[in-house]
Amino acid sequence: MLLSLSEDQTQILDFIDSLTRPYAAVPMHDVSFALTSDALDAELVEGGFLDVMAMEELGAVTAALVVEKLARLPFAVEAAASALVRPLLDPELPRPLCLVEEGSLRKPVRFLKPGATVVVVGEGSVRSFTAGEEHVRSAGDEVLYGYPVAFLTGVPAETRSHDVTSERLLTAWRGALAAEAAGLLAAALASVTTYVGERKQFGRPIATFQALRHRLAEIQVATNGVYWLALRAAMTGTAGDAALAALHAQEAAKRVGYDFHQFLGAMGMTLEHPLHLWTYRLKLLTAELGGRGAQAVAAADAIWGD
Amino acid sequence: MNFEWTDEQQAFRRKLVDFLAANLPEDWEEFSKHGPASPALTEFARGFCRKLAENGMLFPHWPKDIGGEGLGPWEQQILAEVMWEYGEPRGGQYMNVNWIGPTMLKYGTEAQKAKYLPQISAGEMLWCQGFSEPNSGSDLASLRTRAELEGDHYKVNGQKIWTSYAGLADTCFLLTRTSDDRKKGITILLVPMDTPGITVRQIPSLIGEGDIHEVFFDDVIVPVGQRFGEEGQAWEIIGYSLTNERLGIPRYHLAREALDRAVGILKANGEFTRETVKAEAARCAALCEAARTAIYAIVQKRVDGGTVGPESSSARYATVQAERAVSEFVVEYVPEALAGQSAFLQMHHQRGIVAGIASGAAEIQLNIIASDVLQLPREPR
Ligand SMILES: Cc1cc2nc3c(=O)[nH]c(=O)nc-3n(C[C@H](O)[C@H](O)[C@H](O)COP(=O)(O)OP(=O)(O)OC[C@H]3O[C@@H](n4cnc5c(N)ncnc54)[C@H](O)[C@@H]3O)c2cc1C
Repeated sequence: MLLSLSEDQTQILDFIDSLTRPYAAVPMHDVSFALTSDALDAELVEGGFLDVMAMEELGAVTAALVVEKLARLPFAVEAAASALVRPLLDPELPRPLCLVEEGSLRKPVRFLKPGATVVVVGEGSVRSFTAGEEHVRSAGDEVLYGYPVAFLTGVPAETRSHDVTSERLLTAWRGALAAEAAGLLAAALASVTTYVGERKQFGRPIATFQALRHRLAEIQVATNGVYWLALRAAMTGTAGDAALAALHAQEAAKRVGYDFHQFLGAMGMTLEHPLHLWTYRLKLLTAELGGRGAQAVAAADAIWGD
Repeated sequence: MNFEWTDEQQAFRRKLVDFLAANLPEDWEEFSKHGPASPALTEFARGFCRKLAENGMLFPHWPKDIGGEGLGPWEQQILAEVMWEYGEPRGGQYMNVNWIGPTMLKYGTEAQKAKYLPQISAGEMLWCQGFSEPNSGSDLASLRTRAELEGDHYKVNGQKIWTSYAGLADTCFLLTRTSDDRKKGITILLVPMDTPGITVRQIPSLIGEGDIHEVFFDDVIVPVGQRFGEEGQAWEIIGYSLTNERLGIPRYHLAREALDRAVGILKANGEFTRETVKAEAARCAALCEAARTAIYAIVQKRVDGGTVGPESSSARYATVQAERAVSEFVVEYVPEALAGQSAFLQMHHQRGIVAGIASGAAEIQLNIIASDVLQLPREPR
């Protein structure tokens, strides 16, 4: 048992901190539902940060740490699938990587655009293809989520099959989801904590009201749990650990959506405060992989199945 | 980072389990249902702890020169997990390992260490914790049991309540008031329980026999040499004790075992097929494992030589959530367990329901997280 970060891991997280410093705050006057940056994406690729899983001394835990760290940025970066799932398929697959479950075409797909790699996870197969213009339907301006999303029009007849089981892929996907959620939860919590510490009503900071304090404290406990379960899932790679991590992450994500915005009052309903950039990513994550009920059943089967 | 036990750690766990298999009576599961504070278990524990000590398993994580084996915090955690999972055959002596021993090591005078450590590490001492009072529970700093200095001794008058093990303990780790300066006016005295003027009354409870008591102090004379720390130093010392106590009992571990057993019963009856039941069980497992990893992160901090801070309240709260979820799961899906049909699940339930109260209410943990982990401005007083 060893739960401290290695020197390499600490160093990588420090690198990411300095590299992402220009992206740590929302650009002035920006009121987007989702923030993205090609320059940031390019710098992460350049620095090899999304490829750490394959490096012997780093591995999946480091990849999860990177994903968690990047999710804290107000900018949405396609890191989780690339860093934690792509190495199982082919490390050279073009990014962004979009994970979809076979047969659920009505759902919005995160980061989908022409040129993206779409990975289709079916009952017994894992296939991929590079999305062309014809496979992508824009979601228009109506999207509330903190991710760029689009719809898939269909899966082409010609796809590339991958030599990995659906179970293995789902396990990695769940782990990736949990690592990303951990970072989103932590960043949203920090943002709300700052706000309620400064905002005064009735002559005192609203953070001094126990009704808020206890709910925020419970969210801290959940966030800490998601963080550690995500790291454990990355480390052990077992189906049970991944499903528990994803379940805990989706439970927490569902929980915070209401509370966090509530604690900001009307400010939490604006696009001028950046909170939605994390919470509206968490919202979409609650819908991933069939939602928390599906994660729970998957966990039960993995842990207690025959 | 590695979430797996090393070969040595696994061997250590096996050694403990084997020791229990060889040294616990055959009807242990039924027997341990009485609770760690019952007279029967306390009596059993006296012999058992001595045997553990003789075999280097009472304080394996202590340095060799004070009766340990020189192992580390991970082994301490494994020890705690195994013992609690088996219904705590050490009885109340687990407190010696969890917080009394560490507190004695850190704050005891040389004379006190020389007097108590050998008895503690030999498995021969049962303590009780005289903190709570009828009007001072969560607001512990308001306690009123008075100790007046009279020459070479203190005269103690007052009342404690909820004192576990008081009926059978040798010595009380007692908080007294020596001045009116709230937190700065509290002083610790180590008081032999057979001192004249002490009266103990047992309080019947939901959680098993012999656990909680009222203790009355009537002109109890305590020599100054029995003071632990300086006058007024108690608050600092028990801050350390309570952090250790909060983390001491690995409740997540027994809760997880109880969950697995409950699922086992459901499976044996062909009832673990409904998705609602499976999902509920998985939620319990996630809470148990979240608590486990939160605690392990703190154990790692100890291994690295760090000081454990308010994150202990966060880990403790995670544990309370796990205990609660599993207890409720068992009641909902295996209700017969609490009607005498499963000694183990009943034992878990009776120990589990106190998780949010004993060692400080869950809401107090949330207060601590809010102020000291999230660093929110404090509530006005
Ligand atoms: C099985 C068991 C064993 C125990 N063993 C011992 C022992 O050996 N020695 C000992 O000294 N004590 C012992 N205790 C006592 C224990 O430490 C206290 O019960 C605990 O500190 C809570 O105090 P209280 O029961 O007086 O609850 P109260 O302080 O009356 O609180 C009741 C409830 O009010 C709420 N509350 C109180 N204050 C606040 C606040 N500031 N903010 C928000 N909510 C609040 C919480 O929900 C709390 O649960 C034991 C208790 C149990 C159940």
